[in-house]
Amino acid sequence: MSNSNAGETVVVVRDVCKEFHREKLTIPVLSGINLQLSEGDYLALMGPSGSGKTTLLNLIAGLDRPTSGDVVVCGQNLGQSSEGELAKWRSRHVGFIFQMYNLIPVLTAYENVELPLTLTSLSRRQRDDHVKAALEVVGLQDRMDHYPRQLSGGQEQRVAIARAIVTDPTLLVADEPTGDLDARSATEILELMHRLNTEFRKTIVMVTHDPNAADRARRILHLEKGLLVSEVVESRTKKAVQ
Amino acid sequence: MKTFKYIWRNIRRNPIRSLLTILSVGFSLALMTVLYGFLASQETWKNGAAQANRIVVMNIQGFSGKLPISSVDDVRSTKSVAAAVPFAWFGGSYQDEQMPFAQFATDPEYVFNVWPEYSIPPEQLEAFKTNRQGCVLDRRIAERRGWKVGDRVPLKGAIYPFDLDLEISGIFDSPKNTDSLYFHWDYLNEGLKQQSYPNIDNAGTIFARISSSDSIPTVIKSIDDKFGSSDTPTRSQTEAAFAQMFVDMLGNVQVLIRNIGLAVVFSLSLVTANSMAMAMRERVTEIAVLKAIGFPRSRVLFMVLGEACAIAMLGGFLGVGMGCLFLQGMNSLMPQFFPFTVLEMLGPWISYGLIAAAVLGLISGIVPAIRAAQMSVIDGLRRLA
Repeated sequence: MSNSNAGETVVVVRDVCKEFHREKLTIPVLSGINLQLSEGDYLALMGPSGSGKTTLLNLIAGLDRPTSGDVVVCGQNLGQSSEGELAKWRSRHVGFIFQMYNLIPVLTAYENVELPLTLTSLSRRQRDDHVKAALEVVGLQDRMDHYPRQLSGGQEQRVAIARAIVTDPTLLVADEPTGDLDARSATEILELMHRLNTEFRKTIVMVTHDPNAADRARRILHLEKGLLVSEVVESRTKKAVQ
Repeated sequence: MKTFKYIWRNIRRNPIRSLLTILSVGFSLALMTVLYGFLASQETWKNGAAQANRIVVMNIQGFSGKLPISSVDDVRSTKSVAAAVPFAWFGGSYQDEQMPFAQFATDPEYVFNVWPEYSIPPEQLEAFKTNRQGCVLDRRIAERRGWKVGDRVPLKGAIYPFDLDLEISGIFDSPKNTDSLYFHWDYLNEGLKQQSYPNIDNAGTIFARISSSDSIPTVIKSIDDKFGSSDTPTRSQTEAAFAQMFVDMLGNVQVLIRNIGLAVVFSLSLVTANSMAMAMRERVTEIAVLKAIGFPRSRVLFMVLGEACAIAMLGGFLGVGMGCLFLQGMNSLMPQFFPFTVLEMLGPWISYGLIAAAVLGLISGIVPAIRAAQMSVIDGLRRLA
């Protein structure tokens, strides 16, 4: 799989296989996946349910380890890292955006965004600067004292994006970020992510079922039954990969 | 936004559940505090008595046996005895109160020699000695009831067929609340004679102060030897042993109370653990998100355990506080049963109660905390899909 961008390599997925074990059954989920992403890439992973796209996303995000093969992200071979090392690595290099936003309901927007920074050694004032900057990027600086229940779905997702970018991670992973939003909010979120990619050069990997969302990405990878079956790059040129 | 703030917010997340858990811990620990306070008061009495060089002489059959008043002089004449007085429990009621405070018939000449730690103005002591119907009482009784010197205190006999009509001659101060009133033994005895009461000239018990603690074993032996061949053989013991005798009367009750306490802590740990497990089940995805964004296992463990401990400690402070208030209230209202202040009674027990609460929090939180810390991020996130 070729690198579509000229920046520094951020993600390398090499001959990755992933199997799950359920009692005595072995279920292959990913088979021989190869992928490379550079800084500033924006990748959409598409495919039917059970095709392995979320599993691939989890591997790239350091939430899971491959059964075989290598996943190297930001210079770290994730398959050889311990649980503790992965947690520390994720806090520095990855921002997460979930379909259901997953904000902590007992914390305000400000506090939700601040949460990843509590793992750093930043001072209170530095944290405050970072949080306000992140909320400004997503256009919610005036809602920082609101609790999630006081925000709309689109606003909640923007707070979640602020939480994802507050530590200035290299990589953003998004699992169906517009899946629970109405069309207008979804468009806003996609535009925000596009801005994060173009303006802030964040490398983004997004799982989506929505072709409109995928169209915003620079690259679209289709998975079926654990195999990469096709790739579309910005020019919409379809390449057979397997 | 730091961990403690997050823990506090989580406690307030489901306020009714948290409140009920805190109250269940609180009321149970309040009960434990009161029970242990009662036990501790026995210990306090015993320990206090151990510091005094006093002995108690009674009939070998116990309180019900007679001890002739002439025995008091015999005790006084024993070597190393500094002072001795008869000490007979009257147990009268005041107005509608069945047991308002302790009342003892004693010898006004020597009573303050046996208890030199009590202080009374000399003129009041003199008035007490010269007034046959005079009495002296603990200042705490006087303050509680608004009594002053010269007031009359009528006491209706419950054990004896004779009512006392006493006049307060003096008010004494004592290091600890005695909740006691002392009056003339002669006044009681004369009254009983007039009623043709059969058991007259009875000293009840004899309290004696010994000049030095080293002499106590010798004095006890010589007194019991002296009366051994008389019609009324005696059993003498130190005041501490006398106090221990009352403590021993509770027998297995103490063990029972302690075991009840342990059972309460155990059952509470199950209640609190269930509450914590419910709270964690509701937060599986949230914990998964925390772990996804980089929270290490140790911090997740600390947060869950901290929440369980905080709830238990809040219950602990509430419970120990309620227990202390109850004991202090009982000390004010019924000092005859709770003669010591909370601090005297509980002392280290207050911290034991709080430690019990902390242990309760640890026990109840450890399983949910470990499960949260070890939970797979993938499984946790899958729940929301």
